[in-house]
Amino acid sequence: MKKKLLSLMLAGALAVTAFAGCGSSSSGSDSSSDSSSSDTASESTDDENTLTVYAWDANFNIPALKAAEAAYQEKNPDFVLNIEEQSQSSDVEDAVTLAGSSGDYSTLPDIVLFQDHYIQKYVADYPDAWNTMADADIDWSDFGAEKLSYSTVDGVHYGVPVDNGTVIFAYRVDILEECGYTMDDVTGITWDRFIEIGKDVYEKTGKYLLSMDGDGNDLPYMMLQAEGASQFNEDGTPNLTSDTVKDIVDVITRMSQENVLYLANDWSDYTDQTIMGDMVAGVMNGNWIIPTIEQVEANSGKWEITTMPTLSGEEGYASNGGSSLYITSNCSNVELAQDFLAYTFGGGEGAIATYDSALTDGGVITCCLSAGESEVYQQGVAYFNDQAIYSKIVEMGGNVKTVTQSDYHYSARSLVAAAIININQGAELDSELASAQEQLEFEMGL
Amino acid sequence: MTKKNKSATQRRLIPTYIFLIIVSFISVFPLYWMISAATNNTVDVATGKLTFGSYAAQNFANLLARTDLWGTLWNSFKYAGVQTIVALFVCSLAGFGFELYHDKGKDIVFNILLLAMMVPAVATMIPLFKMMSKFGLLNTVWAFILPTISTPFLIMMFRQNSRNFPVDILEAARIDGVSEFGIFFRMYMPVMKSTYAAAAVITFMNAWNAYMWPKVVMTDNRAQTMPMLIANLAAGYTVDYGVLMMGVLFCSIPTMIIFFVLQKQFAEGITGSVK
Amino acid sequence: MKTIKRKQQLAGWGFLLPASILIAIMSFYPIIQAIFMSLKTGSSANLQWANPLTYNYTRMFKDALFLRSVGNTFLYLIIQVPIMLILAILLAQLLNNKDLKFRGLFRTMVFLPCATALVSYSLIFKSLFATQGLVNTILVNLGIFETNYNFLGNTNSARAIIIIALIWRWTGYNMVFYLAGLQNIEYSVYEAAKIDGANSWKTFWKITVPLLKPTIIMTVIMSINGTLQLFDESVNLTSGGPANSTITMSHYIYNNSFGQGVANFGYASAMSFFVFILVAILSRISMKVGDKRD
Repeated sequence: MKKKLLSLMLAGALAVTAFAGCGSSSSGSDSSSDSSSSDTASESTDDENTLTVYAWDANFNIPALKAAEAAYQEKNPDFVLNIEEQSQSSDVEDAVTLAGSSGDYSTLPDIVLFQDHYIQKYVADYPDAWNTMADADIDWSDFGAEKLSYSTVDGVHYGVPVDNGTVIFAYRVDILEECGYTMDDVTGITWDRFIEIGKDVYEKTGKYLLSMDGDGNDLPYMMLQAEGASQFNEDGTPNLTSDTVKDIVDVITRMSQENVLYLANDWSDYTDQTIMGDMVAGVMNGNWIIPTIEQVEANSGKWEITTMPTLSGEEGYASNGGSSLYITSNCSNVELAQDFLAYTFGGGEGAIATYDSALTDGGVITCCLSAGESEVYQQGVAYFNDQAIYSKIVEMGGNVKTVTQSDYHYSARSLVAAAIININQGAELDSELASAQEQLEFEMGL
Repeated sequence: MTKKNKSATQRRLIPTYIFLIIVSFISVFPLYWMISAATNNTVDVATGKLTFGSYAAQNFANLLARTDLWGTLWNSFKYAGVQTIVALFVCSLAGFGFELYHDKGKDIVFNILLLAMMVPAVATMIPLFKMMSKFGLLNTVWAFILPTISTPFLIMMFRQNSRNFPVDILEAARIDGVSEFGIFFRMYMPVMKSTYAAAAVITFMNAWNAYMWPKVVMTDNRAQTMPMLIANLAAGYTVDYGVLMMGVLFCSIPTMIIFFVLQKQFAEGITGSVK
Repeated sequence: MKTIKRKQQLAGWGFLLPASILIAIMSFYPIIQAIFMSLKTGSSANLQWANPLTYNYTRMFKDALFLRSVGNTFLYLIIQVPIMLILAILLAQLLNNKDLKFRGLFRTMVFLPCATALVSYSLIFKSLFATQGLVNTILVNLGIFETNYNFLGNTNSARAIIIIALIWRWTGYNMVFYLAGLQNIEYSVYEAAKIDGANSWKTFWKITVPLLKPTIIMTVIMSINGTLQLFDESVNLTSGGPANSTITMSHYIYNNSFGQGVANFGYASAMSFFVFILVAILSRISMKVGDKRD
């Protein structure tokens, strides 16, 4: 019996080697169906009608890219967009970092989707990895200035914006009503007023008015941007001890101590427990959070969106997350890539078709202003009480203030988040922010 | 032993049984939960529903629609299979050499090789990537297996277990004119089969579960492995937990089957028993 | 006769050759490159010699986050490894009893956790200990907790869960090694001890542990090595949080080379070389301790 099993296993394993051996010796590549076109040394494709792109999130960005492929096929029926799914945005960054380490960018695809907050650093550190969009036929005035500020380096356009990170504040209208409030009562208010309402809502219904991922905390960044302030000075040095930062961190700690804000442990805890687990009456984040809100079918029709509170009580606008498409230096058919991007995401003839299906299939909202005027954008959304949320988001996106960015954006963010956790556990605000500042300066080598 | 004695023994073992039942329950429970979660929808999973649901078919259909499940399973089998065979061959050859051709020089070499056990994976990743990229091996089975074909652990295991190899047979075979290689193939390999089985289980599991390194060198989606598929399912702005757990299930079943099938040989091989 | 002997010796070296060459190319050559890299700074495409050369090494000991990751890793090492190994020996001892029924079944169930993929088991534990998750639901329903407790959001409980998860995953794995070792011990040795009137506690310490010593040393070294390089649990279970209180050395090194957008290969290499030294020293110590013949 023993012998039989073992020989069976060995035979099976041998069969596997035999197959694998064929695949690798014949083409030097994985045994893929089109081994003729896929060369292992190069991820980009040489076929004149095919482009390869790295992107992440099968429920969000990838449907948008598929929509663009379909739209461009109207113009070029032979066009094929080969989408390589990555598990997260950092996979794409790692691919560039690794390619840079060997000085050989031929491992990159033709186009990459890249996080807005990091592209400046990557253009500076790996100047040979990119192709510019300077020659592309794109009317740049059709995009919001804040969004373009990420993908423009020294006045040169490097990327084409895809999704829009405009922050929305979504409330459960039914719960607000139950507590005696309307959407107007939560629009254009100060954070102090927000806390009062939130305490009331928690007492009456047991639901938090806001939740956030406590680990990578997006709140301070969004709240700062709504004030027109940044975690960094203009010269790029960190500025975590300014009065605005202190006020905002103070608001956040008060909110979490008064049961207005629930700080989840990490991203999935935030989306799954607090939002999908129906713990909250309000959600504030980049508009890409909408598909998560919509997961709870039972709450359809009970939500509406509005702007953020601010310290002064003006309506607040901010942007969080978001990414753009960039052509790499490994692209052998730059003209095709530029034409494809200009025609679709860049506001060309295929833009409406691209963005309309991107919205319906993936919930990706355009930052191309003209595409936001399409009919699909004007329709009311049943889940949000028939409010025409998409056109409102595009409009809100135009009001976001441009603030100083840094390559250490996420380091700053996680250090402030750690400070807030410590303050909530009893540490002192001033000293925590000072040590966050210190650690950030250390990381930046200042 | 009388019947009375027997039942007295069993009675004395009651605390042992209780303890083992508790430990077994704790060991198996998370796995039960994984299976039940694969049959629930995402909201139920997120809120900790314990019982089986009716979403298994739907989760499976979604998993098939979202991912190239069969292709990925095949990749994982292929890489782990090739890795297991090549690693077993190379390491058993070395273990055989170290123990049965033992001398001082080889002891020194062995101690040097043991140092490699302490090299942290993060330290070698960047230089290794450069190497693979230079030789055009990215997205091939070679990039996956080369760094872990020869491991000090396996060499040590074969060396240790070779101590029980009957040396007299070796001498007898030499007198009969069997070549050194012939001895390895015809005598050593059959005698050591339970060590091979144990080594195969360990190597296959490690290769199957490998995540960090494959993620770096397998950039092409067509070359991805099961852990990478799960990671893709677990990332993103919205995660469907039912589908994710269905993926986790598919990732766990093959290693469990292999363990079930080979567990007896595994235990024998670890002891170094020779038959 | 001499030529035959020489031929044999040559064949012996030949057998070592493939494995040795592979280890040299795949482990030693890269670690040497990493040492060079640890003396450099800059982005991966443009690494320059650091000024002074030891810059990354002095930086390491001023880095509060790195020092915390070292502390966390040692905490896991000191608490988890002894509990896991003692539990593993205990289980092996219990399962080695010939009178016990369903031995195979128990053994299989205890070993089963280590057949689950690392990525999978982290996800499973995370879901189980989530604030709305199953463990909380059970504890609240039993009246042990009044409200749901945020296990992964508080420093001590988050660390405890990492340790629990590690024990769950690896105890069965180590147990198999002990069980194998125990089966090599002749049953008559125990019989003799019984006749001498030794109780099971005494038998365990006087007979089992000394005879298992080689196995114990091997598992100790494997566990030290594994814990010092702990990565998946920190990344997938807690993401190093809350406020970096559970981050491990390997996780922090990884964050410095990948993941956080700020690739600092030089610094990451310096830290990983430090880990290499630590593992080497600790393994050496455990071998020395184990080698003392009594």
